[in-house]
Amino acid sequence: MRLRICFATYALFLGLAVLPVPSWGIINVTDDIELEGFVKTQNILRTPMFQDAELIMQRNTAQLEGKYYFLRESQAFGRFGTGPLEEATLTLIGRGVYDSIYDIRHTYSEAFGKDERLNRQFEYKLREAFVDLVLPPFTLRLGRQQVVWGETDNFRALDVINPLDLRWHANWEPWEDIRIPLWMARAIYDIGKVGPLEESFVEAVWIPWDFQPNKVAADPRRPWPFIGDGLSAVANSAMIEEALLDLDLTVRDGKPSKKFKNGQAGVRFKAIWGGIDFSLNYFYGFSADPGFKFRSGRLEGNTLRAVLETEHPRSHVVGIAANYSEEKYTQSVFRAETTFTTGVPVTIAPGASARIDPDQNQFDTANRSVVMLAIDRPTWIRPLNDIRTFFLSAQFFWRRYLDYSRLYRGIPSVRRAHMDGEAVPGRFISTNSDKIDQNEFVITFSASTSYGPGGLWQPLFVFALDPLSTGAYNKFAMDYLWSNYFVLRFEQNFFWRVSGHDPGPWGIGDLYGRPRDSRHESVFSAIVQF
Amino acid sequence: MEKQALQGPVSFLSYFLMVALAVVLSGFWVPPTTALASPDQSYDTLRHWIEHARPETELTPGQHLTLKDRAVLESYIPQTAWEYYFYDGMDMEITETGTYPPPEGWGQNVPSGYQLDEQGVLTGFKGGGFPFPDISEDDSKAAQKVIWNMLWRPGAEDYVMPMVAWSRSPNGQLDRQFEFTAVASRYAQGDHCLVPGYEEVKTKQLMEFRSPRDMAGAKMLTKTYVDHYKEDDGWMYMPAQRKPRRTLASERTSEVMGMDFIMEDFIGFGGKVYEHNWSYLGKRRVIATMNVETNPEAGGPHLWVPKDARWEVRGAHVLLIDPKSDSHPYSHKIIFVDTETFWTLWMFGFDRQDDHLLRMNQHFLKYSEGFAHETATQAPYMKLDYANNVGQGIFYHLGETDINAKKPHATYMHCYVMTRHFSSGRAKQFYSVRNMVSGRR
Repeated sequence: MRLRICFATYALFLGLAVLPVPSWGIINVTDDIELEGFVKTQNILRTPMFQDAELIMQRNTAQLEGKYYFLRESQAFGRFGTGPLEEATLTLIGRGVYDSIYDIRHTYSEAFGKDERLNRQFEYKLREAFVDLVLPPFTLRLGRQQVVWGETDNFRALDVINPLDLRWHANWEPWEDIRIPLWMARAIYDIGKVGPLEESFVEAVWIPWDFQPNKVAADPRRPWPFIGDGLSAVANSAMIEEALLDLDLTVRDGKPSKKFKNGQAGVRFKAIWGGIDFSLNYFYGFSADPGFKFRSGRLEGNTLRAVLETEHPRSHVVGIAANYSEEKYTQSVFRAETTFTTGVPVTIAPGASARIDPDQNQFDTANRSVVMLAIDRPTWIRPLNDIRTFFLSAQFFWRRYLDYSRLYRGIPSVRRAHMDGEAVPGRFISTNSDKIDQNEFVITFSASTSYGPGGLWQPLFVFALDPLSTGAYNKFAMDYLWSNYFVLRFEQNFFWRVSGHDPGPWGIGDLYGRPRDSRHESVFSAIVQF
Repeated sequence: MEKQALQGPVSFLSYFLMVALAVVLSGFWVPPTTALASPDQSYDTLRHWIEHARPETELTPGQHLTLKDRAVLESYIPQTAWEYYFYDGMDMEITETGTYPPPEGWGQNVPSGYQLDEQGVLTGFKGGGFPFPDISEDDSKAAQKVIWNMLWRPGAEDYVMPMVAWSRSPNGQLDRQFEFTAVASRYAQGDHCLVPGYEEVKTKQLMEFRSPRDMAGAKMLTKTYVDHYKEDDGWMYMPAQRKPRRTLASERTSEVMGMDFIMEDFIGFGGKVYEHNWSYLGKRRVIATMNVETNPEAGGPHLWVPKDARWEVRGAHVLLIDPKSDSHPYSHKIIFVDTETFWTLWMFGFDRQDDHLLRMNQHFLKYSEGFAHETATQAPYMKLDYANNVGQGIFYHLGETDINAKKPHATYMHCYVMTRHFSSGRAKQFYSVRNMVSGRR
């Protein structure tokens, strides 16, 4: 049945894409209804050390976006006067996904039961559905949506309102596609010029009940599991006092229920002062990353029955973001962002003293600050391109635990169980030796331009480095815009490190670049868009 | 064990990867930029044409000129453009040279007290008319005065303008087609400002793309100031980022969005006056698509120039613009500005490397009163009420062609323009950074 729905969806999208309409872009179904979207096939070859190649993803996505202008110039449906309500639109964005890797490769198809496989193969979602209402100077967006604050690219500081879905390809996809839209209200009141401030406005968001955590794939059978600095396996054993026990682990979901008392809200004031475009931000929500509270451990015979409960602590995020376009000396746009966040869940090493872990549940919350500095610059590099500039963007991101403990632990990992110095076949234990650093850094750089008479070749280079763990990531990508309808994309992702074994906090490279888990990959995509 | 089974050697895949990488890297190769450099297109040739070519045959209204009339036309079309504008099947209809009154009250509420400073920059001017309605050829600042009239001409803003642009290679091969809409308002209106309290602002413009899909929803807000020394401000909203991004305004010499023009060539000159040296080369008579019936179709072997359009003989101020910066892509730029309306008719930018044509543009204009009796084409994706245009006493920019001679490549553009005057309150809301924090998605 799902397969039939999938094929029907594809047929619909392909049909729309090749409709003989006068527009090459958005399709006007009527004067008031517009459609656009794309069909994309994305094929990922994992190329460990470039000696082998393994197809790990064959993801086919169809996205359809519709916009209905049901109120224009204070007239709804062309009939009813709406007074000060000048404009209103309805926007719907739906996405259907079929990853055929779970059919075409036995490695994946046989690893899962039927239902599990179907859940990983298919996704149908009305991702966004919102109404925009314009009552100058007031605007309101109601519905399921994404809201992005701050100046940081691809790291979380103020951009924390929507959680991320990192299950299918971690955070290597455009964040627009991996943010999880939430049901919320977003209101903006335009103030304009007041005193020395220009372009000022106040914005408020309210998420009444819709909390969702970041989604991470921990299942090692999936192509992009988040398994830390360990083996691609599930812990089935525990080692207590030199005894190897079977492990029966229960993880209870402690995420906030869909009730108004679990609402989230934020407000920001944005303005320009002396050419500096700045915003003051506050968001009161829950940590989208879960913490794990150790609830109980009971020994039954040779089995340890342990219970963990996820916890999403309440969190305050206070921050300032700013940008400034310096046109004379550096011809650059400078960006900055700083935040103070409470309620960051952390794991405490087992056996910590009561002073550090009073509840002895290996869980605590921390306060954390972020400072981000960035520079954007369109730059001529004439030996490489004499008709178009390169857009260069560099970013320095510094995160610091303000109430740091040396017993804070990061990502757990699975290792082989050993008895008397020998590995025990088929027995795996979970350990956590990943000590969190008080200061965490990451530096990123990207360069893009376009080539060819019509600018149809669009290369992109990305570099990210964690200077403490020395983990790094490189992307070389090239889009070829075959036509308005058809885009070909090739990407090569490299994950590597300079030295050491520290997995680092970002997962930008070192986790994925080791010989036994090298995730270098080549991505081939074809996109039909309309 | 399972891992080994998964990752067995697949040598053809490695080979495939290498081939794919080679194909991708080959995209970085850029052909030498000397293609189609014609001797007719040198800077010296155009200077010679400006100084020596004088029409010997008057053109008469109603006359249709074809390729066999080339000899007549050569003294009316700048020589640099001959390569593109003379072709088999060309048909230029000549119409009477018109006189085009400016808007009612134009020039009557211009506050005094403005002047040109030593760099040729206009200071203290707040709009309401041409700053220099009378241009004397003997004036050492004549070129700057012409350009200030061009920059403050009526009809340069206060519109909603859906556009379609065709990006074409030689032989008419269509590479991309863009659809986008610009909405602009002039704030500085002489003795008053459109939005009281914003007297420092000259204009604001909001432009949004709707096609192709990879650019749909991208929008740009641009703010220019009455004080020419104050750099413009800009923000861009990209749907993929879901937030506005501050842009740098002072880089104006890179081709934008895969099209063939640079911001500094906008309507002939869209840069900063003080970054250039200016010379006035006199007046010339040229033909121009001055008051076309509607958006002219593209013609010529490459579909780079207007076809079957209505042309008019116009007097033009000829300005020589020499960039002060050694890193500027142009050695010289020459523009022809209409002597009555101060709209740019032709622009030629010459490559710093060899003094041959790098880019040119030519503009298609229509006078407001023509909308009363001629049916204008509607934009393919937006209906405009052209009756709004009648009685405005201004010109509308119905499109242009931008040719990069070195690639070679061209962007041919149709603009569908309707006057739109914003109320103070609406302008304040519409042209705001608040309006840039979200978009169509």
